[in-house]
Amino acid sequence: MTAKRLRAIALLAISIVFLLAWAFPIIWSVLNSLKTDSDVLAYPPKLVFSPTLEAYRDVLFGSGSILPNLLSSAIISVGTTIVTMLMAVPAAYALARLRFHGKKFAGFYLLATQMLPPVGIIIPYFLVLRNIGWIDTYQGIILIYLSFSLPFAIWLLVSYFEDIPFEMEEAAYLDGASRLKTLWRIIIPQVRGGIAVTVVFVFLNAWNEFLFAVVLSGNTVRPVTVAMFNFVSVEQTLWAKLAAVSVLAMLPVVVLGVVAQKHIVKGLTVGAVKGGGRR
Amino acid sequence: MTSFKPTRRTLIKTGTAAAALATFGPTLLRQAAAQDADLAPYKSAKIDWQQVSGETITVAVIPASYFENLITLAPQFKALTGIDVRFEKIPPAQIRQKSVIDLTSKTGTYATHAADPMYYALYAANKWVEPLDTYLKDKSLTDEAWFKLDDIIPAWRSANGIDGKLYGMPYDGEVTIQVYRKDLYDAKGLKPADTLEAYMSNAAALNTPNDRVWGAALRGVAGAGQNMYIYPSIFREFGGDWMKGGKLTVNGPEAEAALAWYVDIMKKYAPTAAANWNWPDIADAFSQGTVASYIDAHSSASVINNPEKSKVIGKVAYARWPKGPSGKRTTSIWNWGFPINSALPEKKRKATWLFIQWAASAETQARTAHRFGGPTKRSGVNRTSVWKDPDYIKLMNGFGENFVEATMGALQDDTDVDWRPRVPQWPAIGDTMATAIQSALSGQATIKAALDDAQRRIEPMMRG
Repeated sequence: MTAKRLRAIALLAISIVFLLAWAFPIIWSVLNSLKTDSDVLAYPPKLVFSPTLEAYRDVLFGSGSILPNLLSSAIISVGTTIVTMLMAVPAAYALARLRFHGKKFAGFYLLATQMLPPVGIIIPYFLVLRNIGWIDTYQGIILIYLSFSLPFAIWLLVSYFEDIPFEMEEAAYLDGASRLKTLWRIIIPQVRGGIAVTVVFVFLNAWNEFLFAVVLSGNTVRPVTVAMFNFVSVEQTLWAKLAAVSVLAMLPVVVLGVVAQKHIVKGLTVGAVKGGGRR
Repeated sequence: MTSFKPTRRTLIKTGTAAAALATFGPTLLRQAAAQDADLAPYKSAKIDWQQVSGETITVAVIPASYFENLITLAPQFKALTGIDVRFEKIPPAQIRQKSVIDLTSKTGTYATHAADPMYYALYAANKWVEPLDTYLKDKSLTDEAWFKLDDIIPAWRSANGIDGKLYGMPYDGEVTIQVYRKDLYDAKGLKPADTLEAYMSNAAALNTPNDRVWGAALRGVAGAGQNMYIYPSIFREFGGDWMKGGKLTVNGPEAEAALAWYVDIMKKYAPTAAANWNWPDIADAFSQGTVASYIDAHSSASVINNPEKSKVIGKVAYARWPKGPSGKRTTSIWNWGFPINSALPEKKRKATWLFIQWAASAETQARTAHRFGGPTKRSGVNRTSVWKDPDYIKLMNGFGENFVEATMGALQDDTDVDWRPRVPQWPAIGDTMATAIQSALSGQATIKAALDDAQRRIEPMMRG
């Protein structure tokens, strides 16, 4: 009994240590965002201080408000996610279930696009967008984001489609459903979890992207990842404001994670009969 | 960058303005008249400011208070010239990348951008930017008597020139000086160092880590504008020559002595963390009272005098770079200048020049500095005449004892155009040197090995 208890306590202690280590950057950001500039710099670091919302007030409603940037980020991320999913779901289904010429190559090609180092393709992307007048536009940035989110989403989704047993589909065909109807009514509800997971990742990648955004955006479209850097000037780093923006930028992702959690768990346990496969 | 805090005076001002607006309905006319009066100093120039009215140009700057001040005045420029300026703020680490992409692809996105002096060699070699003398000498575009190019700090002009031609007009700049805690120095009967040797012994005398005070701090983080901002000065002060016999040389006895001095002071008397510090971090530490002295840009004075953060206000004093064994003082020559993008059509180039002329003029320099309405005042004005203006001197001396004298002395006498090797390959060379310095500082390589290795890496860059 006591040995068991001891083990439980030890496990709990270890979990707490891991949890703290994992959450440390977030806790640190939140604490800093509630400090004044002089408290941020204090050494030893102050754990007890009088919290202020001044940094939040400044970054939200001050002269360099980041509200338009949060909006930019939201439009880009939601836009990228919607377009990606509209294209990725049918594509992944096709890759998982259809037989067609060049299928293997298509699969490999998709993977290959993920191997390109982003820095290597930034200038061609810049030139293409520049020539069609899409620099500093939502459609331009979403188009570029699609080029890496789409292969990623397809690859992620294919495995979920492959897990669905053929029997289910065949039953639907026997009942007279068309392929599209089967996809919509039978298959998609089965991969809901997978779709949720993919949505979260695609959204996250678009939300956090910096390298392409800094080059391809401008004054009209400026996501929060780029705007955040304006608090790091050559003169000084405004730590409290930087922390406040980080916390604000984290919020949508946290909310999305919580909302999608139910589906993600479902995605892991889905399937009455496991073991479909690629045809 | 500094947040706006209403003082009694601004409240009264705002209140009075609001009352005036309410009382006198047709104030628009009045405002228009006031604007005309505002433009009078510019209109005395014998050029047609409106010659390319209707053009729009995009200007890339970094987020910094001195550019914020300029952005605030952009409506005045629009009223004067009819030219619309769109400002784009890009973080310092990315502005080079973005502008080089724009210049190489000749897309002409940025009419001008805040440019690093070390890049002009690369820009000029590729004809990406225009030589400015064409514009300076064109009487329809520039009234030389009004603009007074000679008034702009000579050191910054020569830093932005290649083969005697100016490629970027200095807008805001800095010079490296010694910053020290007068109270701590006085307590020990010390004087600001006149030589690097004395700087080291001062640091030793003040270094009391147990009381959380370190003797000195210099930029330690690796990078072309970071540890390679400080080291070149030391190298030159030890008698180093970048282009020995026409060949870029970074090793040799002078280099070894210079790097040894740097590693020595950093290891013995700087906080351990300083190996990863850039100047904002040094200024932050100094403002918290944990560093007795540092050598860095004079513009950090605004940070260590920021009442919201600093604990050392009133205890700060300044002096020039200490002399090296060669008997020379060699400060950095740094400024943000505006070049003209060659890829622009002619009318836009003219519009860009008018913008540059306006921004670099004595009038705009004064309006963005001591005559600026907002909370932050610039300490990097580009004109000797402004540095002699009693109002400006009074404002700058608020930063601490001897500020103006040290800065002006350094600007006039301690500068050296060949402070860093001015070659198009600089960005890569700077990074290679930065890594070598860091490996010596961290003890991964001996000083000689680090420098020899850098030399080996740099040689092929110079051939290619």
